Amino acid sequence: MTDQMLREAEALLYREALLLDEGSYDAWLDLFTPDTEFWMPAWRNESEQTSDPDSELSLIYYQGRSNLEDRVRRVRSGLSIASKVRLRVMHAISNVLVTAQTPDSASISSCFTVHLVDVRAGRTHTFFGRYEHELVRTDRGWRISRKVIRLLNDVVPTLLDFYSI
Amino acid sequence: MSAYRMTDLIDDRPTDGVFRINRALFSDPDLFDLEQRHIFEGGWVFVGMACQAEKPHDFFTGFIGRVPILVSRSGEGALNGFINACPHKGARIAQQCSGNARLHVCPYHSWTFDSAGTNRNIKWKSAGSYGAGFDREDHDLARIPRFGEYRGFLFASLNPDVPSLDDYLGEARKLIDLLVDQSSDGVELVPGAVRFTYAANWKMQLENCSDQYHFTSTHPSYIRILEARAKEQKNEVVQSTLGGSDFWKEDAAGPTGGTFSFAHGHVLNWGLMAVTPALPLFERADEIAARVGAERRNWMFNMRNLTIFPNLQIAENASSQLRVIRPVAHNYTEMQTWCIAPRGESAEARRMRIRQYEDFFNPTGMATPDDTVAYEECQAGMARQERPWLQGHARGLAASVEGGNAYSDMIGLHPERSVLGQAQTGDESLFHSYYRAWASRMREALA
Repeated sequence: MTDQMLREAEALLYREALLLDEGSYDAWLDLFTPDTEFWMPAWRNESEQTSDPDSELSLIYYQGRSNLEDRVRRVRSGLSIASKVRLRVMHAISNVLVTAQTPDSASISSCFTVHLVDVRAGRTHTFFGRYEHELVRTDRGWRISRKVIRLLNDVVPTLLDFYSI
Repeated sequence: MSAYRMTDLIDDRPTDGVFRINRALFSDPDLFDLEQRHIFEGGWVFVGMACQAEKPHDFFTGFIGRVPILVSRSGEGALNGFINACPHKGARIAQQCSGNARLHVCPYHSWTFDSAGTNRNIKWKSAGSYGAGFDREDHDLARIPRFGEYRGFLFASLNPDVPSLDDYLGEARKLIDLLVDQSSDGVELVPGAVRFTYAANWKMQLENCSDQYHFTSTHPSYIRILEARAKEQKNEVVQSTLGGSDFWKEDAAGPTGGTFSFAHGHVLNWGLMAVTPALPLFERADEIAARVGAERRNWMFNMRNLTIFPNLQIAENASSQLRVIRPVAHNYTEMQTWCIAPRGESAEARRMRIRQYEDFFNPTGMATPDDTVAYEECQAGMARQERPWLQGHARGLAASVEGGNAYSDMIGLHPERSVLGQAQTGDESLFHSYYRAWASRMREALA
């Protein structure tokens, strides 16, 4: 069961990474449940992240996929100078672990490294950290009901959009 | 002495209707070094909030220009500002952003200082065979020559020869009051600091905060989202404070806001907003009016972007932000940002404030990256060229009047100059106040 789950979780995480890398945002959005939670906490100090998004600041916090749809709409709008030249991105996912599991749900921990090239500005950067995915089984396969992005290098060089972490 | 004369850099001729800035202010590394010395290390700058060191022995660290500083609350509760460098070899004695320490022990040779900056121990002092001169030196942490607080906002100056803090802030104090008085308990920083950098000059950020002209051109992608959200009224998306106001809309009729300029480079740009539930403050609208009067309460609901020259900006528009500008190089700037909020607001109001903040103000949100990328595009065009003068400081010049207007009178505010704006005024004359303050601090470095 666990080995099977691990393979299925890896397949989903790798697919999510590929969709972001390719800019296939509709297929990416389809990986999330409509009530999904998407959360990138901020840092309270050198060693602690914020833990309550309702009373502490996050870098990104959304409840509901429609917020992510807004983000996609914005980068596609042609009205955002920061989105005019899409950054080239490559997500590498590693250290995938199944940390909890029931027949219809699973908690997955992983590491991410995102290499990106901002062609407009002529600069490269790497974001890295850990993901926590909560997956639920649906009649269309596994979907993401919660994604936590723990960004370790959180001083953002000019911009960070949903597709670059 | 710089190769520039002041008149090469700032063409300030009010009687001819001219105000122009030379691109060199943004692109010349030598001028940047002079700015560090004469602006950031040569006068009052914002260093932090008293609430960042609330209890005895709490401290936080930072920089004034290139100089590391330590702000520490003594055991008796007094806040002091020090140079965060050991008198012995210069090592920073505190490395953390913030913390609590009765004693700071230098990590290099263990010289020890208490939370009031007093030297408590020099390791192996008696066996050290020091010469006679050593005991005549002051071994305490060096105090920042001027340090002061206004309602929880801490300012310091490495240059002792500056006006008092009250004189420096002047009328702008009344605008800090409009923030602090939103709660009878004052304001606090929401946990979670956000830092970002951009590859452009610090004055791009200085101006942008006060630039009403850019909003509809730079942020249409965000405006479209606001409009769609206002139509859909879904529970899961947070409505914007800006959705129901007109001050930024191109077709609004009548006065929609304006600008005030103050001595020493402080400015406010503002827009009329109603007392509406779109603002988290609405839950205490009646209580505030009873405490400070309806007119000051109404002003608290207006959109307000305040700059305290040279490095503090308080933006109350889509949410409420405290920004600190840290210049790193002529073409590189670090921003330190926090959500600032009235203490004691309800959990629901705080949640709404935080959600509105993240979408608009974060470098991971839907508006700020469009500003910072625009700064970088501007920086490219600041390269030395045949036409050195920028044309970005001219709007509103003919509308600028001495003193205030009916809106400043409402709260007893006395600006040096004001512009009452229509929707398409996009005043740029308030920037003049920045550059006159710039000139005043840079005067001794420039002919």
